[in-house]
Amino acid sequence: MKLNTRINGKEYCLEIKPNAMLIDVLRQAGFKGVKFGCGEGSCGACAVMINGRPRNSCITLAGAAEGVEILTVEGLGNPEKPHVLQQAFVDSGSTQCGYCNPGSLIAAKALLDSNPNPTAEDVKDALDGNLCRCTGYVKRIDAVLQAAEASKKTRKSTRGKK
Amino acid sequence: MLKKLTRFYHPKTIEEACLNLGNGELKTAIIAGGTSEVLRQDNSIEALVDISNVKELSYISKDSVFYRIGAGTPVQDIYKTPALTGPSGNLLKAAAGKIGSTLLRNSITAGGNLAAMFPWSDLPVVYMALDAEVVCRKGKPKRTVPVQTIIDKKASQFLSAAEIIAEIAIPMYGKGTGTAFAKLAKTANDYSMITIATRLTTRSGKVDQARIAVNAITAGPVRCIEAEKLLEGQKPTAELIAAAAKKAADSITIRKDFRASREYRKEVFEVMVRRALTEAHEKAGK
Ligand SMILES: Cc1cc2nc3c(=O)[nH]c(=O)nc-3n(C[C@H](O)[C@H](O)[C@H](O)COP(=O)(O)OP(=O)(O)OC[C@H]3O[C@@H](n4cnc5c(N)ncnc54)[C@H](O)[C@@H]3O)c2cc1C
Ligand code: FES
Ligand code: FES
Repeated sequence: MKLNTRINGKEYCLEIKPNAMLIDVLRQAGFKGVKFGCGEGSCGACAVMINGRPRNSCITLAGAAEGVEILTVEGLGNPEKPHVLQQAFVDSGSTQCGYCNPGSLIAAKALLDSNPNPTAEDVKDALDGNLCRCTGYVKRIDAVLQAAEASKKTRKSTRGKK
Repeated sequence: MLKKLTRFYHPKTIEEACLNLGNGELKTAIIAGGTSEVLRQDNSIEALVDISNVKELSYISKDSVFYRIGAGTPVQDIYKTPALTGPSGNLLKAAAGKIGSTLLRNSITAGGNLAAMFPWSDLPVVYMALDAEVVCRKGKPKRTVPVQTIIDKKASQFLSAAEIIAEIAIPMYGKGTGTAFAKLAKTANDYSMITIATRLTTRSGKVDQARIAVNAITAGPVRCIEAEKLLEGQKPTAELIAAAAKKAADSITIRKDFRASREYRKEVFEVMVRRALTEAHEKAGK
């Protein structure tokens, strides 16, 4: 079966098994940032954005992603040009083994897209489906709040330049 | 899982979805949020009708009597919308916010949660407590039934071939009504052990309508009718509420698993019902 979908802004036409899960299809297509944790929707390591909503790719059938827009952590940034959230995760020590980060970053990005001025409570709520077994849950709240601040500053300075 | 699946349909309208469902060639089922696919036992399904692109199934609106929620609406939208208020809106939002996690709530739909009806499903009890109606569509033709009809028969048996749940219509209650939602689970993400939705609609200080709908502690969503009857027509004093909670605990068949024994669940359940009714009563007075 063919799957037509946009991943990180690029069109893809992938050959898939009809009962394949989105996580497997994405990883086979090279997006190894999508991590397999529990495989049952409980840990959030596999989170990707589907049409702007962060969802668990491990329990989503790939066939249901026909025609959608997917964002994985690779679409956020890379070591040379990290996204402000990625930089904030590093700066705040929200990354140890790093396994949970791709999913948490996607959930955090979805939050900032809809709410550029979140409170700590908003961050807790938005990341409630992303388990972290290393750093815990305090540092990443700081990270998201820092990133929100940093984005505000960049927005202001770019506006100033225009 | 889904060993015989060969294709997906991606309809854009309800009529198209119903046509796809009733295609007559392939054994077909609906997929909404798709979060229960991994649990689907039926390996004979050959095609899935993905209703996530049907825009006319995803909305939250209201008219003079009802809040209207499209069956394909992600429950995250119920949790986050400012459009739902009052006793009905607050109960819906409280329950929707307690479903799984943000990631899951972005997938799980208002209709899928009702149709799949697992013991841990949170919205069916809310729909029951609010006397919701369910609008079903088979192409253009539609029928509206009390939610209890779908609960009693199970969606899969109630719906005819090529028929879908299109909308959940929730009556809006005004002054004199209070609602409360309560859930007991080991963690925010774990399967619920006790789920309770209550509504007290009062008139001149007496209970006009009482609803106690429960799930998770039972094998499926049920109302504690005897306990409701005890309250109706009476002044809801603390003693009466305690008696109703006891009656509710005595009237249900309690499920158990490794998480907790029947005895434990029963004891906690009675306290939770008492508190939920008390909370509903307090809100009804405001
Ligand atoms: C880890 C995890 C935790 C969860 N925790 C909770 C929780 O705390 N509380 C809770 O309430 N739920 C919870 N759920 C969700 C619940 O188990 C179901 O998976 C979910 O309610 C199904 O909704 P869906 O929209 O994904 O439907 P789907 O999985 O797409 O469909 C479910 C069933 O309903 C049918 N169907 C769907 N839509 C319609 C329609 N419009 N008309 C007719 N038939 C239809 C489908 O054919 C299918 O048989 C959890 C799920 C997971 C994976
Ligand atoms: S791997 Fe998908 S939620 Fe754990
Ligand atoms: S950094 Fe290791 S699980 Fe989060």
